Amino acid sequence: MLNNYLTEGPVTIKDISVSLERMSDKQGAGGHSVFLGQVRADVINGKRVKAIQYSAYETLVKAEADKIVNEIFSEFSDAQSVDIIHSTGTVNIGELSLFVLVSAGHRQHAIEACAKTVEMIKERLPVWKREIFEDDSHIWRQNH
Amino acid sequence: MTVKVLFFGVLAEVTGTNCRHYSEVKSLSDLKQLISDEFPEIVHYDFLISVNNELIDNEPSLKDDDEVAFMPPFAGG
Repeated sequence: MLNNYLTEGPVTIKDISVSLERMSDKQGAGGHSVFLGQVRADVINGKRVKAIQYSAYETLVKAEADKIVNEIFSEFSDAQSVDIIHSTGTVNIGELSLFVLVSAGHRQHAIEACAKTVEMIKERLPVWKREIFEDDSHIWRQNH
Repeated sequence: MTVKVLFFGVLAEVTGTNCRHYSEVKSLSDLKQLISDEFPEIVHYDFLISVNNELIDNEPSLKDDDEVAFMPPFAGG
């Protein structure tokens, strides 16, 4: 399990493969469920997004992500591992900004726990985003 | 007492700063008043407050060197 939860810039294929390679140690796991969040090329009021800039309250991210992980382990008794990586800084359209991997004894729990982890991240992680348009103007977005 | 205040997201943009120290703070209410006196436009924004990495929904007592964060609604994921 990763302990810092944040990475500068986009989540990379290397980040993902390092996480997946560690799963071979989880001999109680029968299934792994992965979510990848990607920056979408939204068009807002006729302006096209080119990137998102993420900022985070790092110490509170660590505290809150630890709670989320512990809650997932409590709810899903055969969960073996929960990995979370969220971007900070600039992530361009088409690049990845969120990685969640949940391993569990059975596939249904892996899938459900992964989905629940993503929703909890969106609701509770102290991360903020500015959408940057092609003309370099920006807007702040929120989840609720 | 002196407290360290962190501003995040749009609040960092509105105040022009990520971090500021306030001295002679008597309470959280007092701190909020000091901040809105200095940055009046902040009253137009919704925000959550944490003290020492714990979200609060009441008015806890503050002590010297506490870290108080003013956070807009989250936008992760």
